[in-house]
Amino acid sequence: MKHFLDVMSTALMHRALLEAVLVGALCGAVGVHVVLRKQPFFALTVAHATFPGVVLAEIAGLSFLVGGAATASLVTIAVFVGSRDPRFDSNTVVGIVLSGTFAAGVLLLSARAGGAKDLSAFLVGSILTVDHRDIVATLFAGGVIVLLLAAFHKEFVFGALDPVGARASGIPSAIDLLMMLLIASAVVVALPVVGTMLSVALLTVPALAARLWADRVTSTVAVSAAIGAASGVIGLCVSAQFQIAAGGAIALSACAVFVVSLLIAPRSPFAQHVRHGLRQLGATGRSRLDVRGDA
Amino acid sequence: MLHLLTDPFRVVFMQRALLELILLALVSGPCSVFVLLRRRAFMAEALTHTVFPGIAVAFFLGQSLLLGACVAAIASVLLLGVGWRDGRVDHDGFLVVIISAFFAVGVVVVSRGHSFASDLTALLFGKILAVNRAELVATFVIACVVVGLLVVVGKELIAVAFDPVVAVAWGLPVRFLDVVLNVVIALVVVASLKAVGTALVVALVVVPGAIARLCSARIGWMMVIATVSAAVCSWIGLAASYDASLHHGIRLAAGATVVVLLTMTFAMVAAVTAVMRVRDATP
Repeated sequence: MKHFLDVMSTALMHRALLEAVLVGALCGAVGVHVVLRKQPFFALTVAHATFPGVVLAEIAGLSFLVGGAATASLVTIAVFVGSRDPRFDSNTVVGIVLSGTFAAGVLLLSARAGGAKDLSAFLVGSILTVDHRDIVATLFAGGVIVLLLAAFHKEFVFGALDPVGARASGIPSAIDLLMMLLIASAVVVALPVVGTMLSVALLTVPALAARLWADRVTSTVAVSAAIGAASGVIGLCVSAQFQIAAGGAIALSACAVFVVSLLIAPRSPFAQHVRHGLRQLGATGRSRLDVRGDA
Repeated sequence: MLHLLTDPFRVVFMQRALLELILLALVSGPCSVFVLLRRRAFMAEALTHTVFPGIAVAFFLGQSLLLGACVAAIASVLLLGVGWRDGRVDHDGFLVVIISAFFAVGVVVVSRGHSFASDLTALLFGKILAVNRAELVATFVIACVVVGLLVVVGKELIAVAFDPVVAVAWGLPVRFLDVVLNVVIALVVVASLKAVGTALVVALVVVPGAIARLCSARIGWMMVIATVSAAVCSWIGLAASYDASLHHGIRLAAGATVVVLLTMTFAMVAAVTAVMRVRDATP
């Protein structure tokens, strides 16, 4: 316990905690739209698509974020355009883009001399090496994303719940592209925290859990952001205590919150089923007692 | 020119690599057509992530990696089969939770080991050039099982893909057939692990089917085209990576070269068919 408190009181850990809370809350908020639009596979693809960009940025000596953002937006546009082909469902398009970009990243990496030593940091995140610049970048990107989410809230929700109706009432399809770009930015910001493979966990699992607690979109966003931030903190503490990878611990914390929500949340189908069963059990038990009382 | 395509395969390890990839093409071709028709691309991608903890735990315990992958794949397919589904947590949502949990467990297990970075990289990107005889036999056995399953329930799977509602009306066990298809995808994913690694397997089970769909709308032809395109891309990709590494000093990862070729083929075929359609539309 003492060791744990020592670790938690370092400046490095404070920075990591701040970053985890910021990214967790941001991904939680954006995640509600990912879930409403049924686009978790797209989020996963964007996460993979940052890979070649990150490798290129490393070769060119630029920041992770610049390269990641560049390829993520390219891929977003490719998916947006490709999904209009009626022969393929959007998941197939996403799958093709995903394999192409990820393989391109691997090729670049293998062609570059020096091997794959920094790869794991990128794949699973390295939150403990977050510095001031990363936190400022997160704050800036997070601010822009939240502003846009608030400004176009009505259009985003309308487009998610009724795409045909939204088109008919004059909302341009560019709004869908904007939403996809926002998802892509959230993924890029989450890169240093949980890495490419697990950013999709922060982008969907808190939102799925929040849907079991809240009905209105705005309250779901609030609950989801809170769950995202809490997962960040819990995961970081668990990883410091048991010395396991922080990205993995954060993703597992989010999943644990989801499982608990599934068991106890008021709107969880599972919990409702169990409650219904218990009520029936209680009702039959009572009626048996009544019968006995009559006799 | 032709010798560029044949010379590399004078070496034994290149022969084995080619044999492995052609075996894989034989199963991933037909499988990818079903993935396309039944819209299972996300499922395939999910499986590539969920096998990861199985491999990691097997590696940790010193057991066979293939066995670990099989156990994890089948566990996730079954979890998904019995999973809760309704408006709030739909199929894709539940799938994401399973992916996140499984993959995170894998990361945590690997991070407790000693050689974190290099192990992770090998698991994720595969080592096709290091395929040995035992692994070839394992791939062959898995291929036979997959082809057997597809021969037995192929017709029913096509019916379900064509119209799930009518399939239910005919009395077909649609949910069971979906589980069978998921098992088939899981087996192909497990078989491809050594060749291209967990991160690139999805290319083998999605892209050939998509290329075939561009060329034809008949299921039989689609299966043939998918298999042939996967096999040809494997051949050229292996030769290209060998040649580039040996004669030009550019090290290209073999598995990734094959996948890049596959996606480039898709892009080219898509462009050509688009041009042809435009020409047909304007007489």
